[in-house]
Amino acid sequence: MRFMMLVIPKGYEKAGAGFAPPVELVARMAKFNESLTKAGVLLALDGLHPPAVSQRVVFGGGRPKVVDGPFAEAREVIGGYWMIQVKSREEALEWARRAPMLDGDQIEVRQVQEMSDFPPEVQQAARGGS
Amino acid sequence: MRFMAIVPAGGGSEEGKLPPPELFAAMGRFNGAMAKAGVLMSAEGLAPSARGARIRYEGGTTTVRDGPFTESKELIAGFWILQVKSKDEAVAWLRQAPFGGGVEVELREIQEMDDLPPEIRKAVGR
Repeated sequence: MRFMMLVIPKGYEKAGAGFAPPVELVARMAKFNESLTKAGVLLALDGLHPPAVSQRVVFGGGRPKVVDGPFAEAREVIGGYWMIQVKSREEALEWARRAPMLDGDQIEVRQVQEMSDFPPEVQQAARGGS
Repeated sequence: MRFMAIVPAGGGSEEGKLPPPELFAAMGRFNGAMAKAGVLMSAEGLAPSARGARIRYEGGTTTVRDGPFTESKELIAGFWILQVKSKDEAVAWLRQAPFGGGVEVELREIQEMDDLPPEIRKAVGR
């Protein structure tokens, strides 16, 4: 089963355009990533630029509107993620606990939906079939 | 450049409800169009937060809290990763997503190694 470990760094909603994490933290993160790779559980990982340089596409009636960040009402913002392939939720949580985070940071662990979780007619619709 | 388009929870996603078949089909066509254009790198849906957990890091210890996270206004239901030439191209694709009713999809650029300062690239051995 696949899990996303969504990183919610404390205060990232206020990070400026030129934000870069502390070098020391990045070095620890690199070690953590290496341990995920060595264990054969790492499928993907990425860091996301802060909301200050992001957009939201808002869908309503007619043509969707585009709003530039930062988004004043945002309180919890994703700074990046790992996607891992593990045998259980407990294994995913165990990996998340070992992540080198700073005080007040959070990681949200969410299971990824597999196509095989859905009924056959839904699978067919999702593939673009009729 | 790559972008992550984040779809917020809503429309029953937190209750584990499947979208109506016609929306599922429209989503399949939208994904198909992006795949055909060579911009779609991945598209994933997440199980309801009730099946997830949050880990909080504080003072060298971790606290695990099981979902659902009903207090959070920023829960996500899924995402796409697009590989495009510009932000405008990503926006143009996103505008075609089969949503309505005030749904807000957040478009975040993915940090590439080249975007980071040299001392950080060195720290990760690149």
